[in-house]
Amino acid sequence: MGRAKKVFFRRRKVCKFCADKIDYIDYKDIKLLQQFIPERSKILPRRISGTCANHQRPLQQAIKRARHLALIPFTTD
Amino acid sequence: MRTYELMFVVDPRVSDEDVVTMTQEYKNMISAGGSTVTAEENWGRRKLAYTIDKLNEGKYVLFYVSSETGKTALPEVEHRMRQNDKILRYLTVRTDEDLKRAARRQPAPGTAPASPSEEPPVGADIGSDEEEV
Repeated sequence: MGRAKKVFFRRRKVCKFCADKIDYIDYKDIKLLQQFIPERSKILPRRISGTCANHQRPLQQAIKRARHLALIPFTTD
Repeated sequence: MRTYELMFVVDPRVSDEDVVTMTQEYKNMISAGGSTVTAEENWGRRKLAYTIDKLNEGKYVLFYVSSETGKTALPEVEHRMRQNDKILRYLTVRTDEDLKRAARRQPAPGTAPASPSEEPPVGADIGSDEEEV
């Protein structure tokens, strides 16, 4: 069975906030938050976005605050 | 010193003048409580991400509050907002701690170029030693 060697490169994911040096994640910055809420308006998990734990936590907080103020949706129906 | 952000969403059927008088009232309450409204933003009419009380729009107002003593009238203001059914949503956030943390992390890139200049010689020495051995 001549299997091809499984050499595939996965792009290394980098935390956007570390890369861009964003330290204060503002709940009013909807454009920024929108990058982390896909179609169904769920919060994009770390394993997909590559965000580090130290930034995912304030990001999650900011998204939840924005949701409360109806800046971004809870769900899309 | 503590800083806060207070954002609230007003029923769009309330006229702009009434929104102004309302915000003025809350501002007076805040300043009477010993803190100052450092800045105020009026986002005006904005589409809501979901319907609230069958409404699709809201008028957004944002206060930046700072308090030297840490004493504010914000609990009272929130209480009033809760009772005011023209206010759809409100949110108070204390921002000084997070901003300070962000500011502390921000100078790090500025000081970082200084520390690597000290470190590389050490790393280079180790590297060269290994190469020689």
